[in-house]
Amino acid sequence: MKKVLEGSHAVSEAARLARVQVIAAYPITPQTHIVEALSEYCSNGSLNARFINVESEHSAMAAVIGASSGGVRAFTASSSHGLAYMHELLHWASGARLPVVMAEVNRALGPGWNIWMDQTDSLAQRDTGWIQLYCEDGQDVLDTTLLAFRLAEAVNLPVMVVLDAFYLSHTFEPVDVPDQEQVDRFLPPLSPRIRLNTDDPCAINQLVAPSAYMEMRFNIQVAMEEALQRFSQFESEFEATFGRNHGPVEAIQCEDADIILVTTGTVTSTCRQVIAELRSRGEKVGLLKIKMFRPFPTALIGRHLGHSQKVAVVDRNFSFGAGGIFAQEIRAALCNQMPHPLIYSYVVGLGGRDITPDTLKEIYDVTKSKTTPDQESTWIGLNPEIIETWFN
Amino acid sequence: MKTLSTAELPLFIPRSNTSTAVNKTGSWRFFRPKYDEKTAPCSAACPVGQDIPRIEMLASWGLLKSAWHKIVLENPFPSVCGRVCFHPCERKCNRANLDEPIAIHNLERFLGDTAISKRRKPDLSLKPTNGKKIAIAGSGPAGLAAAYFLRRLGYSCDVYESRSEPGGLLRWGIPIYRLPRQVLKNEIKRIEDLGVTIQCKTPVTKDVLEKIYSQYDALFIGCGYGRPISMQIDGGNLAHDGLKFLRNVQQDNTSTLTGTAAIVGGGNTAIDVARSLARLGATPLVVYRRRIQDMPAFTPEIEMAIKEGVTIKELVSPIRIQKNRTDDSDAPRYILTLQKMKVSKKEISGRARVIPDGEKTEVIHVRRIFSAIGAEAQAIWQMSTTKQRRSVVLSHCQIIDHKIPLLFGGDLTAPVKSVTDAIASGKQAAIALDTYFESSLDAVEERIAACQVGSGPALSMQTYLDNGHQIKNARVVTYDEINIDYFQTEPRVIPTLLDAKKRIRSFAEIETTLANNAAKQEARRCFNCGSCNACDYCRLYCPEMAVIVEKAERRINMDYCKGCGVCATECPRNAMAMEEEIK
Repeated sequence: MKKVLEGSHAVSEAARLARVQVIAAYPITPQTHIVEALSEYCSNGSLNARFINVESEHSAMAAVIGASSGGVRAFTASSSHGLAYMHELLHWASGARLPVVMAEVNRALGPGWNIWMDQTDSLAQRDTGWIQLYCEDGQDVLDTTLLAFRLAEAVNLPVMVVLDAFYLSHTFEPVDVPDQEQVDRFLPPLSPRIRLNTDDPCAINQLVAPSAYMEMRFNIQVAMEEALQRFSQFESEFEATFGRNHGPVEAIQCEDADIILVTTGTVTSTCRQVIAELRSRGEKVGLLKIKMFRPFPTALIGRHLGHSQKVAVVDRNFSFGAGGIFAQEIRAALCNQMPHPLIYSYVVGLGGRDITPDTLKEIYDVTKSKTTPDQESTWIGLNPEIIETWFN
Repeated sequence: MKTLSTAELPLFIPRSNTSTAVNKTGSWRFFRPKYDEKTAPCSAACPVGQDIPRIEMLASWGLLKSAWHKIVLENPFPSVCGRVCFHPCERKCNRANLDEPIAIHNLERFLGDTAISKRRKPDLSLKPTNGKKIAIAGSGPAGLAAAYFLRRLGYSCDVYESRSEPGGLLRWGIPIYRLPRQVLKNEIKRIEDLGVTIQCKTPVTKDVLEKIYSQYDALFIGCGYGRPISMQIDGGNLAHDGLKFLRNVQQDNTSTLTGTAAIVGGGNTAIDVARSLARLGATPLVVYRRRIQDMPAFTPEIEMAIKEGVTIKELVSPIRIQKNRTDDSDAPRYILTLQKMKVSKKEISGRARVIPDGEKTEVIHVRRIFSAIGAEAQAIWQMSTTKQRRSVVLSHCQIIDHKIPLLFGGDLTAPVKSVTDAIASGKQAAIALDTYFESSLDAVEERIAACQVGSGPALSMQTYLDNGHQIKNARVVTYDEINIDYFQTEPRVIPTLLDAKKRIRSFAEIETTLANNAAKQEARRCFNCGSCNACDYCRLYCPEMAVIVEKAERRINMDYCKGCGVCATECPRNAMAMEEEIK
């Protein structure tokens, strides 16, 4: 049934439909609406789950790790500093192979104190062993959250469902909320492969010697690769049930494009319009939306981008001393493919600055005009009045 | 790279079904925790050393009989003391640093009154009778306490009382709006039920004293200060004795008085006289030679008196009383001349010294004058203390080797002239005498010191009965040592008080006893400083699960305790301690 839902509540609805059993979370803007709704569901009885109040995000993740180790479906949500505070335990959740699902609302890290959209928080958790899925709109959020549980439980890895602060978390859109019955069919109750049981006591995740640690890590990598395959399989099943499919990546008019813009999150929707406009003017431009960041769908990306001349990556994030993070990953994914397109990296929209159609057109124009990228990353939209005083 | 099969990938994670019991983490230990119950500041401040944290703990659990029993082990008068004790315990309560002190005296009264209403009898397991007979002069709080504790130690006790009913000051001095007679009767009855006899209307005259010397093995003298000190001023004989007035009011409080009544003095008797006069219709005026803050009367009593319309005139000293020669029967009968006083710069033992303020005097006309400037012991008792005999002077009593051992207690020897200090002197005398008989006079001081609560001077009869075995560390718990994270602020219970306007119309008791739920709630506020209340946080927080609870007793499994100290740090009430491991 279609409902007008806030992006945050699309997550909450999905968690309810997934019949999560334990939720532990600590409030932080712009995530709070997600767990607020879930706590209401717990109190009004529409969700039969234990909501654990904690004093920090570190404890929130510890609590869901505990719950998941006990063999129940566990969920949490966080953002920015909260996510950073969880960092240590993010490694634990994946290393312990726990199918935890977390909604992560992209928000800038301070200082300067900033509550708005920026992807650096989640991308800084790139190496923690979590599957990361970036969402474009409310429907994507709801569907991806449901799929996240299926995927996490199939490969025993935690999944982060990532959505943009405010542009998505606080925007109301019509969202098709599926029936419980349908969801139950798609997502059966968890049959845990790890379950601490007092009747059969055991210790897990204790000291591992050098003779076995690498194999443990390789086991996670194999599971990541499996996740890529399973994702497509579950998407097919999802489509069969719900009639929708989002894909780990989505290519729009890439086949004959000379220049392809690469986007993630809500910018994709803006870019869809810009592409249409540029195409109508005869520009041979395409758009690749990346939803799945971990595991990184290298082969898919190579297939969609490989033939083009230039790739312009729109990064709403930055790795200090290097460049836009998606651009780095795409460059690495394509460098062994011969021939491969030139990679233009653009840093835009940090800390909640708007990315308008004009911003994207500027990126296209710069990419088209320059025969080679003249720097690692190009910052678009910097205020010259501020920065010109820095350089003589 | 091999392609994945469709079957599930095996999970490769560390897992072990071997018990970790093999890893005896106790070998890592440098410090060891121990359960170390300490003395609460309230207990240390209580003249009779009641185990207040344990009493409140039991009360909070609804174990009212056990809580009451815990009191009567150390004090035969919970209902009396809950009313009239000036509760030094509350002034030391650690909780005062968080919000307000525990209403210890209200709880004591509640427990005492509940026991009375349920006709509870204490299970005191008296020691077998040892054949020794003790005479006790005076049935005030000191004498009755001495009888109570000596009886428990196996002595037979006869109390000699000059007046018609027992109780001494409790019966004849403290007005019934503070201590209803039935409450006192009930608590005295329990002492009599132990086998103590009280012979009323039997003053200890010289003849009786001789009889005592020949028929008894010891004499306890708790006669109090029964002889008023008269005012050595011109016309001083015209003033009525305040204590006698209080006694008369105890007999009959129905007369109606009018006009101003001056009361000379600043002690509790002066205040009791003034408040009784207010109830009989007079306009009381207390005249005191020092300042109000120097008055020996307990502050709450002074505050209540002022609310009831008592006026206090400070820094005036009577120098003359004259009869007012007039034919008008309603006119004031006396002319009281007062010397104005002023504070001297010199202090005497911390108290401001007052000196006459030049020649300034003031004359007031009053209908009645009462003297409440103190009292002394009857003449018969004044000899023994002065003669040089082998004796031991203790904090609350004196034991003298005479024909038979003589013990002076109560107001005669107590450092503070209060009901509870009088009871403390009875207890101390009982322990001293028992030690005297069991070993010698020389052993008394050491034995007394072994039974102290905290650093004394309060003594524990339980400790004495356990042969000096102290169940608590003498160290007094400070507020810093309370883990305040475990406590939320909560207001102190306020008992219902009779409105000041209503209370001066009768001698009805002013304060009510707490209701059951209010009392339990108040008892729950207690930190239980230094006493384990089985909160179990030590066990819950122990990372090695080394805290073992068996039959409600906690112990630490030293095979696995690694000495991290989390238990002792978490303990909300400092009932644990860490000590260095000697290996």
